[in-house]
Amino acid sequence: MSEETTQSLLQFTGHRHLISRLLLSTLTGRPIRISSIRSSSPTHPGLAPHEISFIRLLDSITNGSSIQFSMTGTTLVYRPGLITGSADGLGATGGVIKHELGRDCARRGVSWWILGLCVLAPFSKSGVNVLFEGEGCVTGAVHGKGGVDVSVDTIRTALLPIYKNFGIERNIELRVLKRSCAPGAGKSAGGEVQLVFNHQVRLPQTLHLLNPGRVKKIRGVAYAVGVSGSNNARVIETARGILNKFVPDTYIFSDVSSAPFVPANEKGNPGGKKKGAVGFGLSLVAESNTYCIYSADVASPPQGGVTPEDIGKQCAYQLLEVISQGGCMEKTAAPTALMLMAMGTEDVGRLALGKDILGSEEVIQLGRDSKVFGGSGWGFRDQTGEKSRGEIVVSVVGRGVGNVGRKIA
Amino acid sequence: AKKMHGKQRPYRTSELARMMYNLTMSPLEVLKKWRGDEDVEEEGSDNEDDFFNKSKEQDPLNEEDRHIPVFNYQALEAKWEDEENIEDLMSRFASGHASGKSGD
Repeated sequence: MSEETTQSLLQFTGHRHLISRLLLSTLTGRPIRISSIRSSSPTHPGLAPHEISFIRLLDSITNGSSIQFSMTGTTLVYRPGLITGSADGLGATGGVIKHELGRDCARRGVSWWILGLCVLAPFSKSGVNVLFEGEGCVTGAVHGKGGVDVSVDTIRTALLPIYKNFGIERNIELRVLKRSCAPGAGKSAGGEVQLVFNHQVRLPQTLHLLNPGRVKKIRGVAYAVGVSGSNNARVIETARGILNKFVPDTYIFSDVSSAPFVPANEKGNPGGKKKGAVGFGLSLVAESNTYCIYSADVASPPQGGVTPEDIGKQCAYQLLEVISQGGCMEKTAAPTALMLMAMGTEDVGRLALGKDILGSEEVIQLGRDSKVFGGSGWGFRDQTGEKSRGEIVVSVVGRGVGNVGRKIA
Repeated sequence: AKKMHGKQRPYRTSELARMMYNLTMSPLEVLKKWRGDEDVEEEGSDNEDDFFNKSKEQDPLNEEDRHIPVFNYQALEAKWEDEENIEDLMSRFASGHASGKSGD
């Protein structure tokens, strides 16, 4: 621990890639300082509510983290502690951390928090069990101005399975307790999701994923919250119509639930509740014979006005597009996979990525950031062989950091 | 010779490896150059470029990190109605023709 206090702060600027920087910092134990966060914004300078909420979450699953904001919130100093998970006595009651998302967090889907949390969870000292709830907890996909997030169904069916490749597969579960959709003005979401991640490893296995294979099945979940279930049927019908000629093994589940009740907070009616936001959406997941996963997500916008047929069609086409980008990881999952590779054993892991996935801002910035945090540079070479579809093989040398918490404690 | 040099094949892997850790370029610039869609706006009018970039940064679409990329659904629909593209993609699916050749 003594070395930690003497370590100099790593400097970053800007609000982009905030999550991946916080995660890398927590995993490597290096303190960071992020400055000029939205400092040029005239209306909303500093950290956004959902970012603050994520930092709170980091605080509750780690022990000994120290977080400092500047007056305006445009500068953040973060000194990571140990990842303790949901151990009793440290903010958790009964082994569960309740993380309340306020109304102002509804701009992002709850998947935004879960994606980041999942990267930390394998390295935690004890199991991670977090219950997300509150007026800002949106389980459906979000297509807002502020950001675009996948639905929790996609996390469950497309993101958690990739941890299997790293030898992390037992006792991982994502329970959708209450569904909710992105709320419009004056509405609240009020969903409830519980993430249980009880497989902790010392080091993730080295990944060698080079063959994307062929897509053999498509699964999906169509959800309708507070609206008629016939919307689901219409969404599924259209999506299947497009996808059936590619993959006959297409099955889309339908989930109809009523809108969640959220506290109304009205005068003269203190215990009153009102209905949360309504909507519907579709999450599609394609799996190849080599267990590579591609996903697509579309949900109805909060203001409505989109037919279920459109949602089904858009989602199906989006899935085709994602499959055609190739590689063994889709864009949503690639940063997670690359981060886990960098934290793995001191061996060279290889991952074939499509050009447009590797050539995205997030991935490039992640490569730079992980070098700043002391990782090695990534190597690139063209995928060779007759089956190659122009993928690039990224080789990442693991740092063998592994479970920082367990090593010290 | 400069002209020849300027017209590089896009998506060259070695090119990306070189630019990846060149911190004088922002990720967006790296991408543009790698994809080859940056045309002839390399030099001159630097000030103007800065000016335009600033206004682009205010663009709400690019302001936040996103997990689903933006898709133009009309373009996508057109793309995947096209038989040629469908044939091309068929080789990525396990159903039927293993060689990726046509044949309905």
